[in-house]
Amino acid sequence: MGSYYSLIFSRLFPKKQITLLMVGLDAAGKTTVLYKLKLGEVVTTIPTIGFNVETVEYKNISFAVWDVGGQSKIRGLWKYYYQHTEGLIFVVDSSDHDRIETAAEELKAMLAEDEMRDAVLLVLANKQDLPKAMPVHELTDRLGLHTLRGRQWFVQATCAVQGSGLYEGLDWLSDQLSRR
Amino acid sequence: MFSFFLSSVPDDLTPEEQKELENIRRRKQELLDDIQRLKDEIAEVTSEIENLGSTEERKNMQRNKQVGMGRKKFNMDPKKGIQFLIENDLVKNTSEDIARFLYKGEGLNKTCMSILNRKQFLWSFRLPGEAQKIDRMMEAFAQRYCQCNPGVFQSTDTCYILSFAVIMLNTSLHNPNVKDKPTVERFISMNRGINDGGDLPEELLRNLYDSIKNEPFKIPEDDGNDLTHTFFNPDREGWLLKLGGRVKTWKRRWFILTDNCLYYFEYTTDKEPRGIIPLENLSIREVEDKKPNCFELFIPDNKDQVIKACKTEADGRVVEGNHTFYRISAPTTEEKDEWMNSIKAAISRDPFYEMLAARKKKVSSMKRH
Repeated sequence: MGSYYSLIFSRLFPKKQITLLMVGLDAAGKTTVLYKLKLGEVVTTIPTIGFNVETVEYKNISFAVWDVGGQSKIRGLWKYYYQHTEGLIFVVDSSDHDRIETAAEELKAMLAEDEMRDAVLLVLANKQDLPKAMPVHELTDRLGLHTLRGRQWFVQATCAVQGSGLYEGLDWLSDQLSRR
Repeated sequence: MFSFFLSSVPDDLTPEEQKELENIRRRKQELLDDIQRLKDEIAEVTSEIENLGSTEERKNMQRNKQVGMGRKKFNMDPKKGIQFLIENDLVKNTSEDIARFLYKGEGLNKTCMSILNRKQFLWSFRLPGEAQKIDRMMEAFAQRYCQCNPGVFQSTDTCYILSFAVIMLNTSLHNPNVKDKPTVERFISMNRGINDGGDLPEELLRNLYDSIKNEPFKIPEDDGNDLTHTFFNPDREGWLLKLGGRVKTWKRRWFILTDNCLYYFEYTTDKEPRGIIPLENLSIREVEDKKPNCFELFIPDNKDQVIKACKTEADGRVVEGNHTFYRISAPTTEEKDEWMNSIKAAISRDPFYEMLAARKKKVSSMKRH
C-alpha cells in the first residue's frame, strides 16, 4: 500500500529531474562516485549497453548523472546533452600531482562550451584519504577556479571509496538548483 | 527385467547385507537412468558429429572455442580476456590485432555499412559503462572497420564519432534512468558535420535511429545449456592413452572434454563414445608411470570406490565403468599440462552456481517483458 500512495504522490508532485554530467580524467573515481551514491539499492536489471547513467533521488530532486568523457573529437556530441544540463560534477584525483594541469585544461574546455553557460560546478576533490592528496585550497588554485567569472562553483573534499563527502556535495548542488 | 531383478533378493543374506544390496541396486538404477539421459543427449548431437571431418576443422573449432572463452573472460574482465587471448596465441599483442579480434572484421560484406555489423560487435561483448573505455573501444573498432571497409566513411574519425553517437543513443533510449528521450531529429542534428565537415546521409541516420529504438543492443544469451554444442565446441580434444580398468593395458583413445564431462572414442569419426566420465566430485593429479606424461582422475577420499562413469561394450551394451581411477598418458608434456589445466577448469566449474545464475537471468528478463 505504501508504494501505492507514493506512486500517487509522485504523480501529483512529480520530482524535477535534473541532468548532471560527471567528467574527469580516467581513474579520478567517477564510477565509484556514481555507484556509491546508489548504495543500498539492489540492482536487478540487466544493465543497458552504453554509458553509465544513474538516477539519484536526494532532497526531493532526482538527479540523472551521466558518466561522460572521451576525446575532444566527440565533445560535439555531448553538446546535445549539455543543453539540458544544469550542473557539472568534475571529479579530480587529489593525489595525482602529475596530471593536475591536464585536469585543469579539461575542466576549462568543458566550461568554455556555450551550452554550459548556466551550469553550476561542483568539484569533487577525490581520494583525500591518500597520503599525497592536495588539500582543497591547493586544488582550487591549481584548477584556476578563482579566475572563473559568473559561475557558481564549490569544491568538496571526498573519499568516494568510503563514501565520505558525496552527500555534502549533493547538498550544495540541490541548494543551488532549488534557488533557481 | 529390472523389477524381476529387484524382487529376487537372496534370502541367505543378513538384513544389513540385504539393505546394502538394495542400495547398490538403487544406485545402479540411478546410473542407468543417467546413462539413458546421456545416450539421448548423444543421439541429439550425432548428426552434427557426422559433419566433423578433417583435423583442420577440428583445429578451427578448438580455436573458436578458445576465442569464445576469451570473449567470456573479456566480458568479466577486459584486461584478463585480452591477456588470455594473447597467451593462447589467438591474438597478437598489438592494438591493431586486438581491434581485429574485438570486431571480428574478417569476411564482412563491404558494401553494407549495416547496423547489423554494429549490433554484432556489441552483441559479442558487454561494453563497459565508463565513457573513457567506450571511447577507446570505439576508436579501435573504427580503425578496424575502416580498414576492412574502405570507402564507406570519409575517415576513421567519422566512423568513430558515429559509433560513439550510436552508443549514446542506445543509452538515452533504453536506459530507464534517462527520462529525456531524444527524437530522431535530435539524433540527426547531433551528427551534423561529422563526416569530415559534411553530413552523413539522413536516410542512414534515420535507419540507425529506428533500428536502435526498436531493439536495444543486448548482451548475448549464453547459458551453456545448448546441447547441440556438446561435441561441436569442445573445451579440448585429442589423442591420449588410457589404462584399462580391469585389464591393465594402454589403449589409444580420442578424448573430448566438454560440458564438465570427459568422453572417449575409439576413432575420431565414431558416433558414440566408448566411455563417458562425468567429472563432478573427481580430482586430478600428476603421476609417474612407465608411460610418459601421466595424470590420473580419482575420487579425493577414495575408499576403492568405483568412479561413476559408463562405457559401451563391444556388443553395444552400456555398462557401468570399472575404474577406481583413470590413468591417462599424453603424447607430450605440453599436452599433458594443457589437458590437466582444462580438466581442472572443468572440475572447478560449479554447476549449482551456474544454475542459479541462469535462473536469475531468466527471472530478470521476464521482469523486463
